[in-house]
Amino acid sequence: MDIIHPYMGKAHIGMLINKVMAMNRFFGNRLAIFVFSFPALLLFTVYVIYPIFPEIFISFQKNDGFRNMGFIGLKNYINVLQDKTFWRANYNTFFIVFVSTFIALPISLLFALIMDKMSEPMRRFFKFSSVFPAVVSVTVIAQMWIAVYEPMWGLLNSILRALGMDKLALAWLSDSRTVVPAIAVAFLWQYLGLNALLFYTGIKAIPKTYYEAATLDGAGFFRASLKITIPLLQDVTKYLLVISILGCMAQFAHVRIMTAGGPGDISRTVVYHMYYVAFSVSDFGRGCAIAILFVLECLLLTFIINMYVARERIEF
Amino acid sequence: MREKLKVMVNIIMILIGVSFLFPMYWMLNISFKSKSEVYDNPFGLPREWVFTNYRDALEKFNFPRYLANSVIYSVGTILLTVFLGSMLAYCLSRMNWKFRGVALSYISMGLIIPVQVVIIPLLVMTRSMGLKGSRLSLILPYSAFALSSCVLMLYAFLRSLPKELEESACIDGCNIYQAFFRIVLPVIKPAITTQCVLIFMNTYNEFFLAFILGADDKIRPLTVGLLNFFVSIGVSHWGQIGAAMIITSLPTIIVYALGNEQIENALTARVVLK
Repeated sequence: MDIIHPYMGKAHIGMLINKVMAMNRFFGNRLAIFVFSFPALLLFTVYVIYPIFPEIFISFQKNDGFRNMGFIGLKNYINVLQDKTFWRANYNTFFIVFVSTFIALPISLLFALIMDKMSEPMRRFFKFSSVFPAVVSVTVIAQMWIAVYEPMWGLLNSILRALGMDKLALAWLSDSRTVVPAIAVAFLWQYLGLNALLFYTGIKAIPKTYYEAATLDGAGFFRASLKITIPLLQDVTKYLLVISILGCMAQFAHVRIMTAGGPGDISRTVVYHMYYVAFSVSDFGRGCAIAILFVLECLLLTFIINMYVARERIEF
Repeated sequence: MREKLKVMVNIIMILIGVSFLFPMYWMLNISFKSKSEVYDNPFGLPREWVFTNYRDALEKFNFPRYLANSVIYSVGTILLTVFLGSMLAYCLSRMNWKFRGVALSYISMGLIIPVQVVIIPLLVMTRSMGLKGSRLSLILPYSAFALSSCVLMLYAFLRSLPKELEESACIDGCNIYQAFFRIVLPVIKPAITTQCVLIFMNTYNEFFLAFILGADDKIRPLTVGLLNFFVSIGVSHWGQIGAAMIITSLPTIIVYALGNEQIENALTARVVLK
């Protein structure tokens, strides 16, 4: 906007003031503000914010999905917390979160660091193929992994047998020891390449001048990555941590398709357990209690990441 | 030594890259095999090519209907979200009102509330609003949950534009609606395109909501319809399972092969803008 200059004539200043007032009227049009903001805020409120209130409400009720059969206080919560399956589901969910944070994301970061050093055609091929699983529908990917884990002719056991490790050829999805890691691998594999691409985008945004000084000092790939790239990637890392942790927490589709929570109830995640309690046992009260505990867990994790990772933004 | 290392790393990366594509190739391979051949020859080329798997799969699996539903959901969600989201983002970034800071934080809350949390009340609401069995019962929540990131991204984009953009329009006597639709929207087209790609990918591959709210076969999208086909066919006939997987993925594969750069740009836009 123009600045009022000491040598301006009165008429000029008047015009300027008129203009500013006109713009203020233009951007302060109350009806327009309402028309622009209300529909989106309404939709958001109805579907995202409002449902939390009936949810809290139902979690204190005995409710079969159609009728409220009276308030029972904290009984739903007590039932949930005393339920072994709930804790098993939590263990599974946090196992996936753990593997994602400490194994899958570092692998993605490593891919990204190597991608940065690749030749252009090679990089394009790698980008194309590694992002591919994230584009294909979950149902297809999960079903594909059922074939990979197939005990008789599956890919994994065929490889193991070819290597002479017949003893290791297990029935991966029906063995209670291997089922959760097997699902975790399938789920995390799907997004490995996408996360690598996101890391790589962050690396590309780092100005090359930072590296010139390091090269002069004789720093190689590993030193430069450790001392320059990774610290400067903090913002991207934080974003990916939040996204991938929330994604793992909400894991449902792969479990539903690959094992339906089985064998027994061994491989349920928290969301799957909530789904099962609410829709298969028809106990909406208990389901809502699980949902409330689940959202508290998500908020706690987001809070922890915000507290400890990349508290200050980096500007280049 | 250095050169050797480089060659090794390149070979390993090519192998990893191929391993991301291999399962899809394997499914294509299996889709041409008979029921029994999958068991004794899972990896080699088919000894006899069974093309009837595709015909049989299409007979039991209502692909056109599910595809149409998926497309309706994706396009509907894109239109609704981008229309409402761009208006709100404009209003938050350019217009002067008291509660815009509050509104911005309010809409940001959507980023940390997963849709799984509210599914039970959502189902109850869908029933009581009489939307059960209608396609709107999915488009509305899809759109509501896509709004937060859409608004925040367009907001960041709009804030980088100078206010002079609307000044001349204002002096020429345009009203704010005309200024928004005729001047601002064309300028933020790249960001809107990015949003369209992102929302499309999320909605087209969405599973959870469709699985729970789409109890009626008529309104099921591909993700859930395909699962039902798998369940109905059991785990025995992998030839048909493979065929259904290939048919389902074909549209995605074609779109991705043609526009993978744009898709990659859209996917990474979030990181750049934040």
